[in-house]
Amino acid sequence: MLAKLDSYALSGVDGYKVEIEVDLNAGLPSYDIVGLGDTAIKESKERVRSAIKNSCFAFPLKKVTINLAPADSKKEGSYFDLAISVAMLVASEQLECDNYKDYVFVGELSLDGSLRHIKGMMPLLISALQAGHRKFIIPKANAEEASYVEGCEIYALDNLQDVVGFLAGTRQFQPLETKEFVSIENGNKYSVDFGEVKGQYVAKRAIEIAVAGGHNILMIGPPGAGKTMMAKCVPTIMPDMSFEEAIEVTKIHSIAGILDTQKGIVCQRPFRTPHHTATIPSLIGGGSKSKPGEVSLAHNGVLFLDEMPEYQRKTLETLRQPLEDGYVTVSRAKQSLEYPAKFMLVASMNPCPCGNFGSKTQQCKCTANEIHKYVSKLSGPLIDRIDLQIEVDNISYEELRGTSNEESSAEIKKRVEKARAIQRERYKGTSVFVNAYMTNAQVKKYCALDKSCEVLLKNAFEKLNLSARGSTRILKVARTIADLDGSENILPVHITEAIQYRSLDRKYWE
Amino acid sequence: MRYTDDDKALMLLSRETSIKKKMSMFDSVEHPRELYDDLSEADEMISQMEELGVVAITRVRDMYPKALLDIYDPPVVLYCRGDVDLLRANILAIVGTRKATRYGKDATKCFVQKFVQRDICIISGLARGIDSAAHRATLEMGGKTIAVVATGLDQVYPAENLELAQSIITEGLMVSEYPIGTGVHAFRFPERNRIISGLSNGVLIPEAGLNSGSLITANCALDQGKELYIIPGSIFASQSKGGNQMLKDLQGTMVTCPEDIVGDDSKVDKEELAVQLTMEQQVILNLLKDDEEVHFTTLIADSKMSVGELSALLSEMEIYGLIRKLSGNYYMRSPKL
Repeated sequence: MLAKLDSYALSGVDGYKVEIEVDLNAGLPSYDIVGLGDTAIKESKERVRSAIKNSCFAFPLKKVTINLAPADSKKEGSYFDLAISVAMLVASEQLECDNYKDYVFVGELSLDGSLRHIKGMMPLLISALQAGHRKFIIPKANAEEASYVEGCEIYALDNLQDVVGFLAGTRQFQPLETKEFVSIENGNKYSVDFGEVKGQYVAKRAIEIAVAGGHNILMIGPPGAGKTMMAKCVPTIMPDMSFEEAIEVTKIHSIAGILDTQKGIVCQRPFRTPHHTATIPSLIGGGSKSKPGEVSLAHNGVLFLDEMPEYQRKTLETLRQPLEDGYVTVSRAKQSLEYPAKFMLVASMNPCPCGNFGSKTQQCKCTANEIHKYVSKLSGPLIDRIDLQIEVDNISYEELRGTSNEESSAEIKKRVEKARAIQRERYKGTSVFVNAYMTNAQVKKYCALDKSCEVLLKNAFEKLNLSARGSTRILKVARTIADLDGSENILPVHITEAIQYRSLDRKYWE
Repeated sequence: MRYTDDDKALMLLSRETSIKKKMSMFDSVEHPRELYDDLSEADEMISQMEELGVVAITRVRDMYPKALLDIYDPPVVLYCRGDVDLLRANILAIVGTRKATRYGKDATKCFVQKFVQRDICIISGLARGIDSAAHRATLEMGGKTIAVVATGLDQVYPAENLELAQSIITEGLMVSEYPIGTGVHAFRFPERNRIISGLSNGVLIPEAGLNSGSLITANCALDQGKELYIIPGSIFASQSKGGNQMLKDLQGTMVTCPEDIVGDDSKVDKEELAVQLTMEQQVILNLLKDDEEVHFTTLIADSKMSVGELSALLSEMEIYGLIRKLSGNYYMRSPKL
């Protein structure tokens, strides 16, 4: 007899339907899976066999043929175990019902028949829902994540016996209740806070501006200055994630298998710190399994590159597309995938290879040539996409011990949100939502300068030896400072302050 | 420029590596053209030179700087790229350490400013540090400068000075005693130092370490009977030890302002911009005393301004040239003599 049912698999961040067909024929007992499955699918044979046996059913002693349709696309992962076993039980007439055709089955089986957690449940459910499927049977371990998907009937079950009992009507289960997304409840539980960062006024102000305008930022400073600490604080002053943003992030984290199964959803903005030995596939995504890279895991959050010049030049250059477009395209021989990657780049570097250049207490041992080489690793298009470049300095012992009252992240966040609201209003109806992404035409329109500002900027370029390619950057940052200030027009003070945050443009840094 | 057979022979002679050999060969004949039977190779050199806009001034020419003939081992040919008339200008050499400190660069700039006002041409060696600072400052102020290099004129060393070299060629002069195609060799750097001091009326050393190549130039200057001026430096800075040592040995004159070299100018140039300082600017200037470097944190604590306001104010003052931003968020007053 023949049985057919629906399952789902993942390709990039999207799911696609896979029809599972099981046919039992007379002949010598054998077991074949066709349909371009990978090793995990081939091995499902043994899992299914044992699971059926250990769930007190009989494995059919017939010539079993399993087809995964569409037959011409490669399939990966262990999503189909449950669907294959149910289809097998239907085909061997151990399960007699018709309602199984209404469900989509997704899940991995353990040898004892229990259902196991799978990666990428949320994107899979969302794709299936969009394709018109309404009823799902999934592993209980995925319940938390699945409960945030609205508008469908999801049964999260424990084992194969439960599934069969449920389908046959002998066991009753309730569909999952849809959970409300409460960002405030979980939002402020960051382990760090700007209130703990002593001193560093320039850096803190610059970070506030960067977050308010969606600008990327580079921190230059000696080792131990607190660059990493401040970078970790960046998400704490970013506006709370909306439900849509949270779903986007959760989808990606679910695929990568780093989702917290207890929580089921990501409600904190991600903070990713790839090591500087990171390879291109690990940063951008791809590899033989087409996993999302760090840039995608940092989607809607912060990508922190510590010691930026230590990264391989080639690796850094690959960041240009995501920084520009907000997504990455990973093209491989077999397929081309697109992952979202809209992140704020926070980078740090030492002023020179030994880290002590410009230090008051330590002697720098680097030659001029070494410093030149070190800094020039970052030259060109990548630096052009980093609007703020600031210097972070070693703070003194007194500052560290001092009980000075530092502003908490919550206070800074309020100002950031206000500035963001102004920007939302300004860019209504366009694809831009923060100052950093202004097009050239928009820069002309929204960063118009009056006479005195023009003169000031011209003088600044001449007197301070600024590099010309930084002028638009300065305007964008000045726009954000004006927004933080609640000022409609850009004033001279906004421009002069913006100039302070262009350290790499300045020739004194030689 | 048309070259005589003597010129051509000297060009061929300039390809020799040893100065001694060049000298003895030059002295061995009455006319240089007797040195070589076949001068055709020189034509190839000339066509290469013409492509780059290089002219050769040989020892037998009237154009050859008289000052150079007075030194012990004058180069047989001076290859020039740029404005050759500068060779007749009033020339002062500024050389120093390659690892210049801020002090050294500031001092160089201060002195150059005055020299340019007095139409003095600055000669140096296009090296990193003080040399580059001297060339740059001269060009920035619209003055004339000569670079004497230790490679052929088709090359630039160090490579980061490529841009600087190009502006020197268009607005000044680049000189070398080595024919086109000569690469970078360590022994040629001390050799060219004698030309720097030889062409100049005096040598100024803003900053030199104990083993600095600029001390070779200083000794050349003393050997050639030129004035040697040295700006004293901190007793702690390794980049000042060489210069300070020379002063201690009573070699060279200690100078602390450009007037020590060029004499006082009767018409005092009242160029100082009469900038009306605002209250806030005055507060900041009072906080930045003399040569002290003050950190942003100190300024913010003492001025009682917000971070944004202070940052904006500091930028503004920097644009007016009142203060200077240093690395590590330190600030200081603009240096003034």
